[in-house]
Amino acid sequence: MSASVRRWLIAASGSIAVVAALLIGLTALAPADSARAAPAEESADVGFARDMSVHHQQAVEMSFIVRDRTDDEDVRRLAYDIINTQANQRGMMLGWLEVWDRNKSSGEPPMSWMDGDGHGEHEATGDGALMPGMATDEELAELSAAEGEDAEIRYLQLMTVHHEGGVLMARAAAEQAGTDEIERLAAGMVEAQESEIRLMADMLAERGAEPTP
Amino acid sequence: MATDRTSNKGSGRTGGKSGKRNAAADRRAKIEEARRKERARDRRNRLVTIVACCVVLAATVGGGWWLVANSDGDGDDAAAPQSGESAEIEGVQTWEDLSRNHVEGQVEYTMNPPAGGDHAQAWMNCDADVYEAEIANENAVHSLEHGAVWVTYNDAAAEEDIATLSDRVSNTTYTLMSPKADQESPIVLTAWGNQLAVDTAADPRVETFLDTFVQGAQTPEPGAACTGGLAE
Repeated sequence: MSASVRRWLIAASGSIAVVAALLIGLTALAPADSARAAPAEESADVGFARDMSVHHQQAVEMSFIVRDRTDDEDVRRLAYDIINTQANQRGMMLGWLEVWDRNKSSGEPPMSWMDGDGHGEHEATGDGALMPGMATDEELAELSAAEGEDAEIRYLQLMTVHHEGGVLMARAAAEQAGTDEIERLAAGMVEAQESEIRLMADMLAERGAEPTP
Repeated sequence: MATDRTSNKGSGRTGGKSGKRNAAADRRAKIEEARRKERARDRRNRLVTIVACCVVLAATVGGGWWLVANSDGDGDDAAAPQSGESAEIEGVQTWEDLSRNHVEGQVEYTMNPPAGGDHAQAWMNCDADVYEAEIANENAVHSLEHGAVWVTYNDAAAEEDIATLSDRVSNTTYTLMSPKADQESPIVLTAWGNQLAVDTAADPRVETFLDTFVQGAQTPEPGAACTGGLAE
């Protein structure tokens, strides 16, 4: 090997080493962004995605029921809106759980991920209401049996309580989320559902009823 | 002719042929020696250069490998099986290539309780539903297609276990529970293509099975409903 070839080889190797070290160092030290690091099992992101998927599913169910129990265009349209919005959002959250490689179901009590007093554990009430704000089996049965304005009022009252529970969870998720996607979706839910609560209060007033029975 | 001066240097010698030969030989020897040293030095340098290049290459590859290996797996629970993976749960039976046609009437299933195959058009409600009476296989299998886990028990199951499982199912969407007198084991948990028989509800694999397979990766129809079907 001639001296010049050797020198060239050393220079080349040295350059590669410096560049590689720089790249490796920069990448290793770069802050982990949500696109690459999946949220942990105990994170608010995972807990909220699981819990809110269940919560949304019941709102969809209640909305389907009331659409069959009345002809009122306004209530049926509101129900249609809630069905599409919440079913699609539920799909998004379940999809994220898959991308994050997390189970969709957990034996942990719902809302365990929420910070703050009184939100650590929730006793299972056994009446079908899996989370605060959710309707019981009995309330769903009564809604299914009601007709006309009676069904509308029941639906609007049940959905108001449902939304209030949802807003609590979504607000906590927006505050605690580690991922951009949960933060954005949860913050959007807070605004949208608070707006719907106000709308439903007006609709209940038109029917001579209060938000809470 | 010998003189007093003895010298190793051939050049000092004036003399005859032997002197000149010695001087030349010595010169050749020195040149040889120098060449040998230079060759050795060259070999050493080449070796050093090659080794150094290999080290740099290895370090680059190794560093890159380490980076990639560390980029996912942040916050992963390596111990818990991920959604739909039966491999980590001991004793789970699996079936592949189960058919999915909607048919009328009874179906002959290849396993009991059935874990998949042709089924009825209507699914059994699986929204945390606990049934007191036996339900038709063909409706339950449709529920499995929607991602539900079906918990069944026979007469050998302990009352306490039935209560524990009812409690769990009542609080878990995408599960349903019903008695099944003709099954072999006291308690069976079934998802589409996956089944686990246990003796007691306290078996830790029960929780793992539920977490893994409720709406798990085995679900042929992700997103399908567990409400709006048959209530009894």
